[in-house]
Amino acid sequence: MSSAPFKATVNEYLEDLPPQVQSRLYTSPATCLAIYRLLPKLAKFFIMSMVFNENDVSLRDLDRWVQSNGKFQLNEAIKSMKSLHLLIEGRSEQPFMINLNSIFRSSFRNALTGGEVNNSFGNVVENEHEVVLPEMLDQYAANKWESILHFMVGTPLTQTPSRNVLSLLQHSKLMEENNTGELQITNEGFQFLLQDANAQIWTLLLQYLRLAETLQMDPVDVLNFIFMLGALELGKAYSDSHLSDTQKIMLQDMRDYGLVFQKASNTSKFYPTRLAAMLTSDSMSIRSASSAMNTVLSQGTSSNSKADDTTAASDGREQDGTQVGIAARNIPDGAVVLETNFKIYSYSNSPLQIAILSLFVHLKARFSNMVTGQITRESIRRALLNGITADQIIAYMETHAHPQMRRLAEQTLDKKLELDPNCKEGLQILPPTVVDQVKLWQLELDRIINYDGYLFTDFDNSQEYSLLCDYSNDIGVLLWKDDKKRRFFVSQEGNAQVIDYAKRKLKKK
Amino acid sequence: MDGEHQYHTRSKGSTVGSKDLDFSDDSANTDNSDYDNGFVDDEDEAEYGLTQSGKSRASNYGSRKSAGGKKNGTKNSAKSGSKASNANDTLNKLAAKDQNFLHGLQHDAPADFVPDVVSGLFRSSDFSYLKLKPDHASRPLWISPGDARVILESFSPLAEQAQDFLVTIAEPISRPSHIHEYKITAYSLYAAVSVGLETDDIIAVLDRLSKVPVADSITNFIKSATVSYGKVKLVIKHNRYFVETSQADILQMLLKDSVIGALRIDSETSPAAEENQPTKEGSLDYKHQAAKIDPNDVEAVFSSVVGEIQLDDDNEDIDAVHAFEIANGSVEIVKKRCQEIDYPVLEEYDFRNDHRNPDLDIDLKPSTQIRPYQEKSLSKMFGNGRARSGIIVLPCGAGKTLVGITAACTIKKSVIVLCTSSVSVMQWRQQFLQWCTLQPENVAVFTSDNKEMFQTESGLVVSTYSMVANTRNRSHDSQKVMDFLTGREWGFIILDEVHVVPAAMFRRVVTTIAAHAKLGLTATLVREDDKISDLNFLIGPKLYEANWMELSQKGHIANVQCAEVWCPMTAEFYQEYLRESARKRMLLYIMNPTKFQACQFLIQYHEKRGDKIIVFSDNVYALQEYALKLGKPFIYGSTPQQERMNILQNFQFNDQINTIFLSKVGDTSIDLPEATCLIQISSHYGSRRQEAQRLGRILRAKRRNDEGFNAFFYSLVSKDTQEMYYSTKRQAFLVDQGYAFKVITHLHGMETLPNLAYSTARERRELLQEVLLKNEEAAGIEIGDDAENSVGRGGPGKKAKSKAVRGEGSLSGLAGGEDMAYLEYSSNKNKDLRDHHPLIRKMYYRNMKK
Repeated sequence: MSSAPFKATVNEYLEDLPPQVQSRLYTSPATCLAIYRLLPKLAKFFIMSMVFNENDVSLRDLDRWVQSNGKFQLNEAIKSMKSLHLLIEGRSEQPFMINLNSIFRSSFRNALTGGEVNNSFGNVVENEHEVVLPEMLDQYAANKWESILHFMVGTPLTQTPSRNVLSLLQHSKLMEENNTGELQITNEGFQFLLQDANAQIWTLLLQYLRLAETLQMDPVDVLNFIFMLGALELGKAYSDSHLSDTQKIMLQDMRDYGLVFQKASNTSKFYPTRLAAMLTSDSMSIRSASSAMNTVLSQGTSSNSKADDTTAASDGREQDGTQVGIAARNIPDGAVVLETNFKIYSYSNSPLQIAILSLFVHLKARFSNMVTGQITRESIRRALLNGITADQIIAYMETHAHPQMRRLAEQTLDKKLELDPNCKEGLQILPPTVVDQVKLWQLELDRIINYDGYLFTDFDNSQEYSLLCDYSNDIGVLLWKDDKKRRFFVSQEGNAQVIDYAKRKLKKK
Repeated sequence: MDGEHQYHTRSKGSTVGSKDLDFSDDSANTDNSDYDNGFVDDEDEAEYGLTQSGKSRASNYGSRKSAGGKKNGTKNSAKSGSKASNANDTLNKLAAKDQNFLHGLQHDAPADFVPDVVSGLFRSSDFSYLKLKPDHASRPLWISPGDARVILESFSPLAEQAQDFLVTIAEPISRPSHIHEYKITAYSLYAAVSVGLETDDIIAVLDRLSKVPVADSITNFIKSATVSYGKVKLVIKHNRYFVETSQADILQMLLKDSVIGALRIDSETSPAAEENQPTKEGSLDYKHQAAKIDPNDVEAVFSSVVGEIQLDDDNEDIDAVHAFEIANGSVEIVKKRCQEIDYPVLEEYDFRNDHRNPDLDIDLKPSTQIRPYQEKSLSKMFGNGRARSGIIVLPCGAGKTLVGITAACTIKKSVIVLCTSSVSVMQWRQQFLQWCTLQPENVAVFTSDNKEMFQTESGLVVSTYSMVANTRNRSHDSQKVMDFLTGREWGFIILDEVHVVPAAMFRRVVTTIAAHAKLGLTATLVREDDKISDLNFLIGPKLYEANWMELSQKGHIANVQCAEVWCPMTAEFYQEYLRESARKRMLLYIMNPTKFQACQFLIQYHEKRGDKIIVFSDNVYALQEYALKLGKPFIYGSTPQQERMNILQNFQFNDQINTIFLSKVGDTSIDLPEATCLIQISSHYGSRRQEAQRLGRILRAKRRNDEGFNAFFYSLVSKDTQEMYYSTKRQAFLVDQGYAFKVITHLHGMETLPNLAYSTARERRELLQEVLLKNEEAAGIEIGDDAENSVGRGGPGKKAKSKAVRGEGSLSGLAGGEDMAYLEYSSNKNKDLRDHHPLIRKMYYRNMKK
């Protein structure tokens, strides 16, 4: 989505902060560690090489460490470090000499060596009697988080997320009020649902930051707190005694998102959940669209080879059985089979997956590992009217396509290529007819197209009219004309050109 | 409305919502099985147009409420659907069984099942309480307890076996590439029983193939539907009628029945008694074997499914049998009585032991090859060494004729073939001579032009339905032939294209011609009015239905690219369209200039590729306009036979004639293997059957086995008109068979086509004027002006009379159902023929008088 209202990543947000704010941020060791963890691999390497080296480093040295095929990564790394102002010009003020931001350097050293940490990693409260089990925390976090997602999808729930969450959702345009005053998912909201959990949390947190700024909360405080949460240990209790007032308010909000757990709203202890721990880690513990793609791809090939085995081993029936079992078990949760008759079968029992499907599918029946549904004009229109686009629906189904669909698509493509090596068609995983139809349903909704532009009218004579009209037609900016009434309409972009032309031509006379 | 309420509070959460929800009350338990908003209710009715049974459902629903969902609602509904004939009674009972089943068992979720947040979305179709079996991954099926739908993973290694089994016990609903759906209905179970499957086998195999345990509701349904059906057989042996059953208690019950018991004839030499002893062991043995199978062993599941079906096929004839004889004269009474007591008899013909009727010297030629699916369909028919009556469904062009011929060669008795037109009569005759050793002197043809009889003691007669069912005064010649037909006993009757013939005519045919075994052949057992099920009782159950996609993949029928071309209405036409009456509208969207241009473009494009093209139009006015404008030959109802043959032959052999225009007369039974491209410009409302039949014209394309060959099927549709709606409806059948209709919104290069018709506004205005001047009759589809085509149409005559009123039809009428409705005149069966409009009568009977 080009019009994504939120910053794609936290890095971009950080990069956009003014240098002063960045410097204040770097005073917290925990934040420095978190930022370090968010950097590209090569950047991490450079920072490690410079953190205990007070002297300036030549950019050429950095360049020499990198093989020629890694230049792109090198540039990326340097760019990201520079925009975060981690790399600054060297003290010698010679060209190409650089050094590490001194505030960052000292805080990061503290974080690494465990020196003077200023409680930025939180205060652990040791209490043997009040142990909270990680399982319970997981359940709590999942519960809170999923109830937010379910709310967005519109599942009928007994409990709604807290008001703060709702206002955040609305503020971030993930949901908006419809005519009846009810909250409804938006186009961006649907895009949000398609992301993995980590990206979702960051999206919400960034929106939270945005909101915090308008509420005069100090972004440094907010960011420090978020990064601190990312560094806390799961299953331990922390005290809120050293938190600033801003951070104490935040604690309430984070509880609503499921990032932290408190036994009661007035206790001074809080427990980070796995959602918090995951904030700055780059391991994809929760499935994302792209990682799903990878697993599907690797499975497609492996099951292909398995099929070959099956045909080859005619006597090993028993063996086949187990192999088949494995292949089937590997089907990722939420795998979707879409048929040419617009029926859709999703191998999922996750309420959230089902709820997402229900946004654009007319669901029919549910079994313990599969739901069936039908794509109808009404179901798609409902989704489209909610602001979800056809492309998003198609993208969702494509990323979740069942391995079998991919296999079939590959086979047909192979066959086509065999017949016609110049065939330019790509892999069509979903039945093209269904894809076309979904797009057509969208087109059905916007038959009226608006163009911004200018109307030319009141010509003195037909000569002038046809001169300008023909010109604008020639340069391809003419949108509409009426020869009788001597009027024509050009697009916004073309207007200046036509006016220039008119000035030149008509003045001459 | 619990659910509704919660729904609202949720949405208002932004204003009212409570802050600081406590963690402890987080159990998101919503019991909103009543959750009720925009979901389509009764989708079955919407999909299959069960208009008639809708009534019985309603009454059923009431009765069920009082009876607490007991199965005895059948009786009530039978009364409500008060139709005169027996078959209808039984039909109603069967339908009632389905209905009861659908509504009577919703709430058998275990008590400990806790619905989660999304359960409400499915209402009563949330079956996640059915626990998956531990090895579910290797099993291919889910069975929905709610509506007996069976969902099959076609990529499972067991899928092929499962498919064979399911096609026997269930109706195929959709069979695209990955996941197939079937539905178990009372009819399909009746069919399953009639090919020899036992209740316990059905349940056991389903259980083995299913990922989830078979719900009690399904088991009960299968039991209740199969307990009485197919248990009693009527067998003709040595030309004596025997009532047979494999269960002694049923025999006892029958004998105690006041009507049937009295009709029994004591016979010392009951053949059943001899067979009794050895067979008991055989069947026991096999039961034992079935019990040994470990359901967790994939291999065992695999072999047991295959094995069982084969066993059923092969060993049936040595199964235990109890029988008693009845007199020839009382057969009709016994049949009727059996139906009344819910034990309809299955008719089987033990042709091998029939020594009274002379054998026919007929055999397949050695060069004749039977395809595997043809063999499979025949194996269902001759499963136990006897001939069962029933219907075989194969796609057009898949060799239905050969199936019929092979069946005839198996029975080797006198055969009569009935088809829909004199053209197909000649085709059947020719095919018989081509594929088997039958001598021409044994073949007779009975049409309005030919009235032949064979002189030998046994032989083959080919005729049309209308010739045989005609009840009016006949000419001397044809009366003589009719006497010949009715005066003898036939071993086998083949009924071609059974879907077009109405019940009344069938009943007449079946009663006038005494045949031991009946075989119905068709490609499309769908009707918009769902009355197809009558055939179950008039001919027999559906024995086999082929999978179109599979046949096309194996190259038995051509690969077809289907496309729906959207032709925008020109502004002038659309303006008029919005103003006009319903019938005039039709004319406007058919004559839409853009459609004409699209047609012209496609013809030119495909002629360049070397395709032979058939253009179909139901509307005769449009047919003529299009054909004349484009300078192509056309055939419609009033085209004389000679000219027809001339055009068809030129199309086949003359490389200058690559395109012909056909009206409805070309829908069925015209065999043109040269055709590789179809364009449809106007069609019969939403008739799924017509769409499939038309597609059938190119399925037998000669070039189908060329590498990468595709046939093309275009349906031209005027955008933003009624046609769009009909078009979607029409495609439903083919889409469920796995065909995909690609939507083409713009034909690239159409504007630049040289000589493009109606390219100027003036031409278009002229056309519009012309169209507007046409009276409404021109909008009608071809009616009654072709004897062959109007076979068995009870309706059209009436419609022609009142054409001005016709705009307001029922939904099924708009969908194409009405035109094809069975009209049953229980008081006087001849009435439907007399009832024609004088004009129609003249046209209709003109051919016969010749």
